[in-house]
Amino acid sequence: MTELRALVRKEFACLFGSPTAYLTLTMIALVTALIFFDHLRIYNQILFLYSTTTMGGFDTGAIPDHINLWDRVFFPVMETLGLTLIGTIPLITMRVFAEEHARGTDELLISTHLTPSLVVLGKFLVTFLFVALVMIVSFLYPATAIEQGGLGVEHLAAVFVGLTLHGFAIAAIGLACSAYTSSQLIAAVSGWAVAFTLWDFSWANAFVSERTARFLEAIALHPRYGSFAEGIVDLDNIFYFVGIALVAMAIARFAFDLRRVGS
Amino acid sequence: MRQVALVGFVALASAIASYYLTNEFGWFGAANAAVALVALVVAAASGARQLGRIGGAASHRVVGRGLLIILGSVVMAVGMERAAAYSKLQFDWTFERAFELAPATVKALRELPGEATATLYREAGDPRIRRTRLLLERMAEEGNLRLRERSLAEHPEDAGRFEVGSSNTVVIVLGDRFETVGRPTEGSLYEALYRLQSAEGGQVTVLRGEGEGDLSRTDDGGYAGLSAALATEGYDLRSVVSASMDEVPVTTDVLLVVGARRPLRAQSLAAIRRYLDAGGSLVALLEPGAESGMEALLAEWGIESPEGVVIDPARDSSWASVAGLDPVAYHYWDHPIAQGLNRNRMTFFSGARSFRLRRPRPEDEVSKVVETTRFAWIETDPTALEQRSGHFERDDHPADFQPLVVCGRYPRNGRETRIVAFGDADFASNQNLRSLYNLDLLINAVHWAAENEPMITLRPKNRPTPVQFPIPLTNTLQTLYGVGLLVPELLLIVSGALWLRRRSG
Repeated sequence: MTELRALVRKEFACLFGSPTAYLTLTMIALVTALIFFDHLRIYNQILFLYSTTTMGGFDTGAIPDHINLWDRVFFPVMETLGLTLIGTIPLITMRVFAEEHARGTDELLISTHLTPSLVVLGKFLVTFLFVALVMIVSFLYPATAIEQGGLGVEHLAAVFVGLTLHGFAIAAIGLACSAYTSSQLIAAVSGWAVAFTLWDFSWANAFVSERTARFLEAIALHPRYGSFAEGIVDLDNIFYFVGIALVAMAIARFAFDLRRVGS
Repeated sequence: MRQVALVGFVALASAIASYYLTNEFGWFGAANAAVALVALVVAAASGARQLGRIGGAASHRVVGRGLLIILGSVVMAVGMERAAAYSKLQFDWTFERAFELAPATVKALRELPGEATATLYREAGDPRIRRTRLLLERMAEEGNLRLRERSLAEHPEDAGRFEVGSSNTVVIVLGDRFETVGRPTEGSLYEALYRLQSAEGGQVTVLRGEGEGDLSRTDDGGYAGLSAALATEGYDLRSVVSASMDEVPVTTDVLLVVGARRPLRAQSLAAIRRYLDAGGSLVALLEPGAESGMEALLAEWGIESPEGVVIDPARDSSWASVAGLDPVAYHYWDHPIAQGLNRNRMTFFSGARSFRLRRPRPEDEVSKVVETTRFAWIETDPTALEQRSGHFERDDHPADFQPLVVCGRYPRNGRETRIVAFGDADFASNQNLRSLYNLDLLINAVHWAAENEPMITLRPKNRPTPVQFPIPLTNTLQTLYGVGLLVPELLLIVSGALWLRRRSG
């Protein structure tokens, strides 16, 4: 446990001591704020348009029910945020294993009392904590603005849980990709490509049978994440994200095995 | 191998991205998909070959164990997810508990005579689809409902066949019958299910002609909503002009009298008396201040309605000009009509009269169903109501629980007469019927009167439309400056400082 604690401390120092992490955080926070602000501006403009066309001031009865804060602002922003995370989280995870591999320090890690499983666990834990921080930063602006609209705190909590689990899943995929290369660039690009491929399989519906389409939907990130956005916390969705992390950890661990046998 | 795999994944992601952007697989998407397929197959083959080349028993053991751990983790992940899905454990954290199905919906789904298919028609980018899909999935978990989704663009023939007008439309097919739901909510889907099942509640005869509520009027003061709700529950509605009624039609299961404002003819009242004596069922909605003759008739059955209007200052809806005139009731007696109603499931009355009960015969049963709080009284002075607005002080009226809905069962000649009386007719008007649990109480009263107790249930409620008012620009800007820009700014400063420190260090 002492070695694991030392590894976690070292990973924390590396992560928070690197400008890349803060730059990524800045980017996510800024992009979220700008996307949200833009959607809110357009939403307000649409409502203004309705209030002027009805000529009688603001009349909610004249506005179609799909023009509301949820459907016009919150959901599109959360959707975009989900995709934004696919693009940005691999930038955080790219260095975790690849840098060690490039410098050859992974050999040192393996020579300690730490087993490959513990090394992987330590790195995953630190990355997940950082991703949770990213989520708080990225969720801050939408949550503050939505709260003004008088929406339930529980619903916001559900969205946050979904967003965080989604972030963990992308981080896990990014880490698994990082474990197989010494190039941070390759780690980031492959992490992005795999996560983006897993994002949604609705494009395949036209080419596959209904059964296969259902299977593909079951393994896709987007439908799982989407139900959290609607305020539904399903136990199977939680375990889906946990499962992705578990499999990614096993795959990352296998990279150590391959290195040990010199492949 | 890794480089080839990388090319494969990037090409696949690019193909998918092109599909999302153009909504079709053009030459770019197809070419990328082909490259991805070839690259991933080559990478997989190369990877397998590399693994096969690993020599030595010890190395094989290490690699084999690693692969087993991956396989084990996949099995564990799938197992956990499936077990969780099987448990159906789900938390609805929406503000209005939008995905918790009402008992009536669950009942309707479980009683489906065969497998029904619900097809959700959608257009790309419709944000409402996800919510409807979740609602349908919840419904499918409860009953014999199979889900399907179809793109309107890919199946234009369905638009004409099922009268599908726009995206986010659900068509429920049961056998050779179908129902199209244009704005799917739990309530509208429930009604469609009910219509498909062709439930038969019986015949409801409605009196008209003496100022009774008009079941065809669709404005706030009309009762078209009540008519539609009864039809949904399988009742066949027949209206009869009371002035020309010599006998209540023999096919009547329930006679419904909604707030007659003028006195009914003696001949009509005699017909109702004969009908009740023969074991008929009556649901009467009275109005304070109106004397139609129904009051005297009900008194013969032990249901007396004293003159005056109920004032309940403890639970007022606060819409009335006089405090306490529009009571919100939540005291329910243990009776099938009030099944499922409790302190949190209230009913709204808009100016009501009260009742006093007595048993005409020892074998009769008369009981209260809904009553006010114990602070209520009957105000008999109409001028007092006109003169006083706002808070209403009780003068010398004794305060007590005031029954607002009562009922009675009367065994007569081997049959049973059933009567339910409401102290307010506006209770069922279009304006108030869908307020709180008014609809449930009234329809359940009709079910009870018609001896259709198994049909008593609580129906889905209309969900409020999500926020549709603008967020003021000042607030939005304050949040943007305070959180949206300040946080990234601080993070950027930290990042720059770290970079400079590293550079100098």
